[in-house]
Amino acid sequence: MEMHAGTHHVVQMWGLSFNMDTLYMTWLTMAIILIIAFFATRQRKMVPTGLQNGVEMVLEIIGDQLKGSLGEHFNKFSSLLFTFFFFIFISNELGLIPSPHILVSPTSDLNTTLGLAIASSVSIWLIGLRVKGVGYLKHFFQPFVVFVIFHLMEEISKPVTLSFRLFGNIIAGEIVLELLNSLAPYLTPIIWLVFSLFVGIVQAFVFTILTTAYLGMAVADEH
Amino acid sequence: MEKAIVLSVSVFSACLVAGLAALAAAFGDALAVRKAFEGMTRQPEMAGKLMTNLFISIGLIESIPIIAVVIAIVLVFTDVVVGKL
Repeated sequence: MEMHAGTHHVVQMWGLSFNMDTLYMTWLTMAIILIIAFFATRQRKMVPTGLQNGVEMVLEIIGDQLKGSLGEHFNKFSSLLFTFFFFIFISNELGLIPSPHILVSPTSDLNTTLGLAIASSVSIWLIGLRVKGVGYLKHFFQPFVVFVIFHLMEEISKPVTLSFRLFGNIIAGEIVLELLNSLAPYLTPIIWLVFSLFVGIVQAFVFTILTTAYLGMAVADEH
Repeated sequence: MEKAIVLSVSVFSACLVAGLAALAAAFGDALAVRKAFEGMTRQPEMAGKLMTNLFISIGLIESIPIIAVVIAIVLVFTDVVVGKL
């Protein structure tokens, strides 16, 4: 059978190749998030109702989780972390809408997940440098100078595992969905779809909370 | 002739990888869930916090088996191995 799940519509421009379907879906995700944010912040009330209430509930639930790791720095970095969560959550669920090979999750492309993971790692380094100054580089050489190898391996493995975990979960979900649709349509894909909804939320949450934990370790005061 | 051997071996090894990944994911999750449920029955007021930490841990534990499944899928559905012939 022809498997559409991992293939991309590639366009060559300026010597580079672009996966156009991933780009279109990323823009669609951005549009959805902007529309939700716009309609949730019009006519804000002190006692929220409607869409504002829903968004505030999500922010409160996730925020309580993140405050435990970040403590006092939460207000500075909460926007970044909520951005990661909402973008990954909406991207994961976008590929589950049934469509004739039009809608696909942007996070099912390794480029997107690598971009997100590298963005989170680089922002953690920059935030660590800003909060602690050059003393941030000192922690690489503790407790002994030779430990710099282990710390460097850890810093490389963080974005790699973040990206591959998200990519593997979403692409495996899409491949199994397509397989089930070709083998036993109309009933089993629905069951797998419900499970994939849950996996989408969990993976977005895991990405966010891991980034928060790494950030908490980078800006922590004591060792 | 070599192509047939390479194809069959790669499909067989993909099955092996996927089976071992399934075993690893199931047993790893069972270890975590066993202790989480024990904690939840001992202190029902901590059930929410334990459940959240449980889901985070399962997301972490299942990351490597999922990478293994991706390797198995790549072996079967693309021609990375046959293309090297």
